[in-house]
Amino acid sequence: MTIKKDEAPMIEIRNLHKKFGETEVIKGIDLSIRQGEVVVILGPSGSGKSTVLRCINRLEELTSGSITVDGYDLYDAQTDINYVRSEAGMVFQQFNLFPHLSVLQNVTIGLTKVRRKSKAEAEGIALKLLEKVGLPDKANSYPDQLSGGQKQRVAIARSLAMSPKVILFDEPTSALDPELVGEVLDVMKKLATEGMTMVVVTHEMGFAREVADRVIFIDQGVIQEEGDPASFFTNPSNPRLKDFLGKVVSH
Amino acid sequence: MAFQFKSDVMWETLPLLTHGIELTIYLTVAGLLFGFIIGVTSGLARISRNPVLRSVSLVYIEIIRGTPMVVQALFLYFGVPLAAGVRISPITAGVITIAVNSGAYIAEIVRGAIESIDPGQAEAGRSIGLTRMQTMIHIIWPQAFKRMIPPLGNQFIISLKDTSLLTVIGVAELTRQGQEIVAVNFRSFEVYLTIACVYLCMTLSIAKVLRMYERKLSSRSSR
Repeated sequence: MTIKKDEAPMIEIRNLHKKFGETEVIKGIDLSIRQGEVVVILGPSGSGKSTVLRCINRLEELTSGSITVDGYDLYDAQTDINYVRSEAGMVFQQFNLFPHLSVLQNVTIGLTKVRRKSKAEAEGIALKLLEKVGLPDKANSYPDQLSGGQKQRVAIARSLAMSPKVILFDEPTSALDPELVGEVLDVMKKLATEGMTMVVVTHEMGFAREVADRVIFIDQGVIQEEGDPASFFTNPSNPRLKDFLGKVVSH
Repeated sequence: MAFQFKSDVMWETLPLLTHGIELTIYLTVAGLLFGFIIGVTSGLARISRNPVLRSVSLVYIEIIRGTPMVVQALFLYFGVPLAAGVRISPITAGVITIAVNSGAYIAEIVRGAIESIDPGQAEAGRSIGLTRMQTMIHIIWPQAFKRMIPPLGNQFIISLKDTSLLTVIGVAELTRQGQEIVAVNFRSFEVYLTIACVYLCMTLSIAKVLRMYERKLSSRSSR
């Protein structure tokens, strides 16, 4: 089978299984994500949706199956996992900014240590990215001086600094006060319109409806339903999805 | 004959202790320097992915923590040379004892501080492509080191006081020198009181310096 690289999926997950001890959390997931696609993963807590995301850059080791990112097989001994990770950015629920580094240093550290850029060049790139996420004046602040929304925007700038091929968002707004959610979603929407490939685990139905190209519902370790947001939300056929949407919308 | 406290004996004793004080400081500084290197190495070995390194360091730590330092000093000074056929000076044996002994405790301090850092920090480091080593050097260690300072200060103070146990192998440090002075003038009350004051000055200085250092570190990182 020969496929041109452009047509090859950015992320290809085949028959993914993941066990924690005896408990099987992921029970066979196949998922293929094209370049530039925005995929939102929904599901009740404990459904395994974050685990899928964490397997994509090997923060979690899969039990069986295969994952390729931009053509690199994550479990091929030839693959430099550090390189693949630098190409697949991750944004965490708890931000995970480096508290001992300034905002600027949080963004430049990957550029200087992984991409081997000069300090001046790295700072130039970082300042542009901070401007993009709306925080040009926070370069010299430290993470503990920022609000949650600002922290998450710095975290997005930090992963953008590596010019990743894809960014994985693991419940990026779940730890935020409600009034701070919008500023983070706005940055994410901007990225989506610029053509960034994004995989987003979230509970933000508005974001899913408005921005996603495809919505996936995971429950009990398998994909229960997937489709474009219009049909997904308006006439869900799967009873579990109906139940889930009913609960989410009601509060 | 009633006991009479003579404060002038204390002032007369102090200059006679100079060599002992110097030696105590030397044993502490040299011992802790090597102890820190041993401690960081075995602390990192304790959390390494390599099971052999993990068990070697665990065995070392358990043996040292489970035996008295006096016995360790006697074994090193009298026992090991007998088996190995080389004599070492009491001072060398003393430095090694302090180093090996404090190293085990420092290893646990290092391990504890590193493990106390939120795993999300390492994940964030790895997710931008830093290697395990880079993540340790640039992300985990700077944060963990700050948390190590108070327990390290504690260990420095303990090791300083433990140098007095080296009298058993005849190291002429502060306590030993005091014993020799008492053997001549029989003023045990004044002499040991003087020695206690000298130890107290040294331990308080360590505490003070570390507090200043800690304050300097925290002001640099978060403002």
